[in-house]
Amino acid sequence: MNQERLFKVLLGPHMTEKAAFAAENNQYVFKVASDATKPEIKKAVEALFDKKVDRVQVLNMKGKTKRTAHGVGMRKGYRKAYVTLAAGETLEDFSGAE
Amino acid sequence: MQASVETTSQIARRVTVQVPAAEVDQAVAARLQDTAKNVRLNGFRQGRVPMAVVKQRYGRDVRNEVVGELMRQHYVTAITEQSLNPAGYPSIEPTVNESGKDLEFVATLEVYPEIELASIEGSEIERPVATVNDADIEQMIETLRKQNAAWEAVDRAAAEGDQVKVDFKGFLGDEPFEGGEAEGHELVLGSNSFIPGFEEQLAGVKANDETEIKVTFPEDYQAEHLAGQEATFQVKVHQVSAQKLPEVDAEFIKQFGVEDGDIEKFHGEVRKNMEREVQQAVDNRVKQQALEALKTANDIPVPTSLIEQETDGLKRQAAQQFGLGDDFDVSQLPNELFAEQAKSRVQVGLLLAEVIKVHEIDASDDEIKAKVEELAQQYQQPEEVIEYYLKDEKMKNQVKSAILEEKAVDKLLEQAQVKDVEMSYEQALQAAQQQQDGEEDSDDETASDKT
Repeated sequence: MNQERLFKVLLGPHMTEKAAFAAENNQYVFKVASDATKPEIKKAVEALFDKKVDRVQVLNMKGKTKRTAHGVGMRKGYRKAYVTLAAGETLEDFSGAE
Repeated sequence: MQASVETTSQIARRVTVQVPAAEVDQAVAARLQDTAKNVRLNGFRQGRVPMAVVKQRYGRDVRNEVVGELMRQHYVTAITEQSLNPAGYPSIEPTVNESGKDLEFVATLEVYPEIELASIEGSEIERPVATVNDADIEQMIETLRKQNAAWEAVDRAAAEGDQVKVDFKGFLGDEPFEGGEAEGHELVLGSNSFIPGFEEQLAGVKANDETEIKVTFPEDYQAEHLAGQEATFQVKVHQVSAQKLPEVDAEFIKQFGVEDGDIEKFHGEVRKNMEREVQQAVDNRVKQQALEALKTANDIPVPTSLIEQETDGLKRQAAQQFGLGDDFDVSQLPNELFAEQAKSRVQVGLLLAEVIKVHEIDASDDEIKAKVEELAQQYQQPEEVIEYYLKDEKMKNQVKSAILEEKAVDKLLEQAQVKDVEMSYEQALQAAQQQQDGEEDSDDETASDKT
């Protein structure tokens, strides 16, 4: 995997109540590129944050359907990754990432 | 909390204060807890944002805010502890401001100078003594008559002091020029309201005369095309009027508020007014000198912040006097114009306050009331004025400081040598006038600011 791709995988941190709880269990939530794979994400996180990653879980968030006067529309969805860091590693300053 | 004071100059102080880290951090944490309740953040319900997130986002702002407040608080405690009496606002700068470390800040301020009142013993004060004699009264009545003079048509040659009603038309060579024409213009001979030479040549004309006048416009005449030119005026005289002074009779006297037209009473009234005027002038003059002497005897340093305040006030006053309107930006006026005056006013104010303090001068409610009543006499409805003054705490304080000031000046006068100087009525008024123009316009205000 080339260097360029590394920077394109992670789109940004995903800060919600659920993500905040997950952070307590050493899991950090990212929005990632819709075609990103688990190994890619693992490598990207390890390279950019310089932390050891234990495992990665991914899922696709569907956009909400919205009805307007012009009919039914779809909002954009995104791909989300739960990154579990290896025991002993923590990510501080999380919301500031990319 | 630890505070130390450095004396950098006679009135400048540097206060260094240290606040323990625990106190600061605790205050910050408490403030963060408060903010957490009200933070709205995408992805979180209100009040459910975890502390870690709040801290990350708002930590710095909250800390700055808290530190600012703490510095102000501790500044106040520090100066109370060190019993400093600051003039104006301090400038506060944090030197160490990091979480986990003791907060340290430096406040630079100026204090009111400590005044050791030097007495003005030995300084001489001239007190004009002027009596109003009959000649003065006659003169005053003469002035009043002149002010009420009427013009009456006479059938004789016009002389200086007469008013002539004329039509005139001016020519440069043969050409009439713009603005050189008028009809029924009323001109007082000798009033110098026209081009030099014009009025003089009109002397001796009678009603219905027609004459020609040759004048040369002065070189510095405001209309450029006319300046220095020779012009001819055709003048037609309609009427010659002489000034007719009103007789001092019942009618005339009534105008001045003496209802029954009694001439004796009128004289008495005039005398009373004049005496009051002289008294005021004399009082003012004496006060002026006393304050001046006080200032010379006590050269005290003045905090710049006070001077700035005073300068600002003076500027605003000046702006008002020139009729510049409320929305005029006074900062446009140069400070230098007012700085000197402001300084002397602040000095006088501080010194007077000190005099009042040293001699434990106070004004009782009765005295205030008496003064208000005296003031109220000048108004149409004294009762209303009295009520207005006594009800309003601010007005009352103003009156009080005026009384205090009077008393302070009296005290000063006891110290000084007061020399009586004989003067005529006119001289006394003039002398007071001059001083007023030179130095002060109202140091009532300065004193009331400080007391």
